[in-house]
Amino acid sequence: MREEIAAESIALPLRSASPNGAAAAPGAGRTTRLAARLRSALPPAVAFLVVIGGWELFCRLAGMKPYLLPKPSDIVAAASANASNLWVSVYTTMSEAVLGFLLSVLLGVGLAIALASSKLVERSIYPYAIVMQTIPIVAIAPIIVIWFGAGMNAIVIIAFLIGFFPMLSNTLIGLNSTDHNMKNLFHLYNASPLQTMFRLRLPAALPFIVAGLKISCTLAVIGAIVGEYIAGIGGGKGGLGYAITVAAARLQTAYLFACGLAASLLGIAFFLLVSRLSKWLLSSWHESELNSSEG
Amino acid sequence: MEAMASTKEWVRMDSVSKVYPNGTTALQEVDLSVREGEFLCFVGPSGCGKSTVFKLITGLSGATGGTLEVMGTSPQQARKQSDTAFVFQDHTLLPWSSVVDNVSLPLALRGMSRKQRREEAEQALELVGLKDYVKAMPRQLSGGMKMRVSIARALVSKPKLLLMDEPFGALDEITRQTLQLELLDIWSRNKEMTVLFVTHNVFEAVFLSTRVVVMTPRPGKVAATIDVPVPFPRDASFRTTPRFGELVRSVSEALKH
Ligand SMILES: Nc1ncnc2c1ncn2[C@@H]1O[C@H](COP(=O)(O)OP(=O)(O)OP(=O)(O)O)[C@@H](O)[C@H]1O
Ligand SMILES: [Mg+2]
Repeated sequence: MREEIAAESIALPLRSASPNGAAAAPGAGRTTRLAARLRSALPPAVAFLVVIGGWELFCRLAGMKPYLLPKPSDIVAAASANASNLWVSVYTTMSEAVLGFLLSVLLGVGLAIALASSKLVERSIYPYAIVMQTIPIVAIAPIIVIWFGAGMNAIVIIAFLIGFFPMLSNTLIGLNSTDHNMKNLFHLYNASPLQTMFRLRLPAALPFIVAGLKISCTLAVIGAIVGEYIAGIGGGKGGLGYAITVAAARLQTAYLFACGLAASLLGIAFFLLVSRLSKWLLSSWHESELNSSEG
Repeated sequence: MEAMASTKEWVRMDSVSKVYPNGTTALQEVDLSVREGEFLCFVGPSGCGKSTVFKLITGLSGATGGTLEVMGTSPQQARKQSDTAFVFQDHTLLPWSSVVDNVSLPLALRGMSRKQRREEAEQALELVGLKDYVKAMPRQLSGGMKMRVSIARALVSKPKLLLMDEPFGALDEITRQTLQLELLDIWSRNKEMTVLFVTHNVFEAVFLSTRVVVMTPRPGKVAATIDVPVPFPRDASFRTTPRFGELVRSVSEALKH
């Protein structure tokens, strides 16, 4: 497991540095592993080129109007022509999503701990927490805009709300799924409720919390973009959602595609980052995740 | 042994009954007296209330009739004094904590300093022969080793009363016999420790104990108590003596009632 990570972190710079051939020093084992990696990356790369090439060819041959379906080359051109705007949009959306996500993790886990500490409080609030999870946040987003005004605040709150309930209910379920014998053990050794919470229930809930993290990080990006549709402000620092609405209104389809692509990449990158983090959290704490990666 | 008036009575049950809320009578009119330094084995078929006896002694649940005293006070009070320790059939180790952290858990819960509890934990691990596995994680250990860690965790608080509910039930016969010998060795080095040990296994009961309590089900009752007046240290050869055979036979006989 640890070896693999080490090999990967070496393989990554290797791959990017390979054109100038400077980083060819590592042992033969690593080179073969790199070769295997390249070989497994080859089919998807070919498929990608075929699809993109086919798309380009189709547009040229069929004479597609660029505002209906732009060619890949149009998209690249639109992206590079507006590179600085696009980057600002990505950066804005990313900050909103990350902020919203962090808030939903902190408050979701925190509130779950508070709720789970008292059976009575939990029993009275839990049903609402579950029901709230099913509220389409998009439907109440305009209210949030009314309360907090258009702009960053409202968007972050929408991104937060959308990821908050999955975090809360996942953590709550995890905190309540502690093994009965373990709970007896802590009870018999006169553990205080606080000790039971932080030494037993919270670590035991970690796989559930991690599952919540993965859901919430994807939702936070969606929440940020949706928030920008409704509450986005321009003035040179609008996010992707705002850029998308503007591009759509002006029929700048190529740029619209570029924005959509950027949003997808942002979502994927965020998810991969959180997955990595989750894996690390679990492997150092818990055996369930290790079993799957060792086996 | 019973004649020694000076030995303290660690557990006293006077016609103790336990009826669970769903109406199951788990124990009926159980009388039992456990003295300091005994190694008492409870044998009986599944469902005869052995675990229930333990739940009452630890104060996990309350008796519904009769009186029960542990170390001269109520079970809850006795547990608060931290003189009692437990080993379950399941090793109940925390999978995210290292062996030494698992063993020192009872001390950590009591607020002992990290350095001190580490020392104590290492001593306890030495007793069960796992001194080299201090930093290992539970997942790296075999079933028998996990059980040893679990026993070390019980020993770390230097209990006066050790309750073991089928600790070797999930182990294979060879590991089981090794651990029996180790347990006896640990106990004979500290004769003040009183051990209450639940098992399904008549051979195990006779091999380990100074006294066997035979229980019968529906409702749970003490059918007989059989003394095992065989001196310690006992080793594996005890299993092959005629005396062992006789005792096993009389326990099995009592089980049939
Ligand atoms: N929490 C409970 N609620 C209701 N009935 C219970 C409960 N715990 C145990 N019982 C019942 O009490 C009886 C004795 O149970 P107990 O667990 O003490 O048996 P045991 O001798 O330990 O059995 P085993 O050897 O299988 O562990 C059984 O009939 C069981 O169904
Ligand atoms: Mg039992």
